[in-house]
Amino acid sequence: MSDVLLAVENLTVDIGGTAVVDGVSFAMRRGEVLALVGESGCGKSLTAMALLRLLPPAARLAAGRVVLEGQDLAALPERAMRRLRGEALSIIFQEPTASLDPLATVGSQIVEAYRVHRGVTRAEARRAARDMLDAVGIPDAERRLEQYPFELSGGMCQRIMIAIALVCGPSLLVADEPTTALDVTIQAQILDLMRKLVAERGASILIITHDMGVVADIADRVAVMYAGRVVEVAPVAELFASPRHPYTALLLASVPRLDATPKAQLATIEGRVPSPDEFGVGCRFAGRCPLAVQRCHEAPPALADIGRDHAAACWRSADVARLMEPAS
Amino acid sequence: MAGYAFWRLVQAAIAVFGVMTIVFVIMRLAGDPTLLLVPEGATREHIEALRHELGFDRPIAVQYVAYLADVLRLDFGQSVVQRLPATAILASRLPYTLELALGASAIALLVGIPAGVAMAVWRGGALERLLATFVVTGQSMPTFLSGILLILVFGVLLGWLPTSGSGGLSSLVLPSIALGALSMATFARMARIAVVDELSKDYVRAARARGLSQGAVVVRHVLRNAAVPVVTIAALEFGNLLAGAVIVETVFAWPGIGQLAIQSIQSRDFVVVQVVVLFVSVIYVAMSLLADLAYAWLDPRIRLHG
Repeated sequence: MSDVLLAVENLTVDIGGTAVVDGVSFAMRRGEVLALVGESGCGKSLTAMALLRLLPPAARLAAGRVVLEGQDLAALPERAMRRLRGEALSIIFQEPTASLDPLATVGSQIVEAYRVHRGVTRAEARRAARDMLDAVGIPDAERRLEQYPFELSGGMCQRIMIAIALVCGPSLLVADEPTTALDVTIQAQILDLMRKLVAERGASILIITHDMGVVADIADRVAVMYAGRVVEVAPVAELFASPRHPYTALLLASVPRLDATPKAQLATIEGRVPSPDEFGVGCRFAGRCPLAVQRCHEAPPALADIGRDHAAACWRSADVARLMEPAS
Repeated sequence: MAGYAFWRLVQAAIAVFGVMTIVFVIMRLAGDPTLLLVPEGATREHIEALRHELGFDRPIAVQYVAYLADVLRLDFGQSVVQRLPATAILASRLPYTLELALGASAIALLVGIPAGVAMAVWRGGALERLLATFVVTGQSMPTFLSGILLILVFGVLLGWLPTSGSGGLSSLVLPSIALGALSMATFARMARIAVVDELSKDYVRAARARGLSQGAVVVRHVLRNAAVPVVTIAALEFGNLLAGAVIVETVFAWPGIGQLAIQSIQSRDFVVVQVVVLFVSVIYVAMSLLADLAYAWLDPRIRLHG
């Protein structure tokens, strides 16, 4: 199991007494790109912030372990955790421009990220910053280092954020909707860049997204979240070809396809995501699930292996294939 | 930036001109000062002669144009009571007011800003509640009351500091506290709001994700961002402190321009009143101009492209 980089076990995040992330477990191998997929509010971003222990003040890490390279981050004192942020695991966010201090040059912010962990001189850190700008494909690095975030485009700022995140060579890069705020053309460039840099450095990416296009583009494996729980985990090709959770199946069916019949109605999922106070005792998708039976409302299905490297949390996972047949 | 600065200057000139006009008219409405200047039992002819000599028998519009012409030549007239140039009288009082304004600013900034930052960083805790009590007291106590209380406690009961007048640093302490209390509260509230606002921003979370401690994020990033609104207020507050010391100077018998204004109004020495008000309005307008420039200097988005 030495190739396991990160093991998240039973992670629970609590807001005002409600578990908005409820017993989430998944593992990542070294060099792997894992996508955490789900709708807004399903708890995927809170999961990411919980890994770095940077939850918003209202949220609390209530239970679970986050084992990164053999070390349980959830149990570390804050001082030790601080030494790992940016060093062993980094994060980039959805809004690259807002994530940079508007009154500090981008160079000073990369330098800061390097010096806080390496304690080197300013000149050495500046050299590292310049090398990083070259690596993230920003030309004319010397001049760029002196610029302020408002002088750069959103895509450029996201490259800067990636430079900051990778300057200390972390083994895990968490990317929370890194391309959502960017143009589609820039989006592809940023994904390519992330994949290339991470491959060069032997690091892993945990990418948080709601965009199946992004998933198909970059991920090796996918974990699907719904209402605070992981409902399915599978390699990307297998998940797209044969999902084993009804939510995954319906989510994929609702993505527009180039090969679909023109003017065919796009599939939708009936109803809406339950709010935390509406969670029942059973499966949280049961209320919207076309396959739901009595049992689904009474007991929550556990995430169970249903094939090689494929797990789903559904009592009726064997029948999900039916949902994938095109509607007549 | 140059075009913007030009328009700010035009606005400033209009504001000063407006103040001059209003004060000129109001002082004339308040009554004829000639009667206050003549000795008791003066004859009607005597009064008329003096009125003519001082120019008060001319229509108000003519007096106003003559006044504006004088101001443009930087001739601010002579005190009708003291028979001295009004600017000389102002100049003799100015150092005292400046000294008091600096003292009050020092207290306001050195107490208010750290208090506000602390309230923001440790919000929701016992320290914030304690500081909030202190700030609300400073904000809500009227100067005439806080001034008298300070005199009673530190001057009369404890005997630590002089009760009134101007003589050395020790006499500056109480009036500075009395005058600075309101500004202190303003700075504390502004600093708290600005820091709380900054702490909720994405770049704070991103800086923490780089491995910085909360304290380092506050010192290296938040304070500078929060300073932008606070500096703007600071310049305006300094204008306020220079201009608004009337009550404190009266309570502490401090011989500054606030006291001069009161004395001149009471003796209807409107030449002096005009020059005091003109001076104060120029200071105020200049400070707000300075605030805008400081704003531009602190924020590269304005400095480089405004």
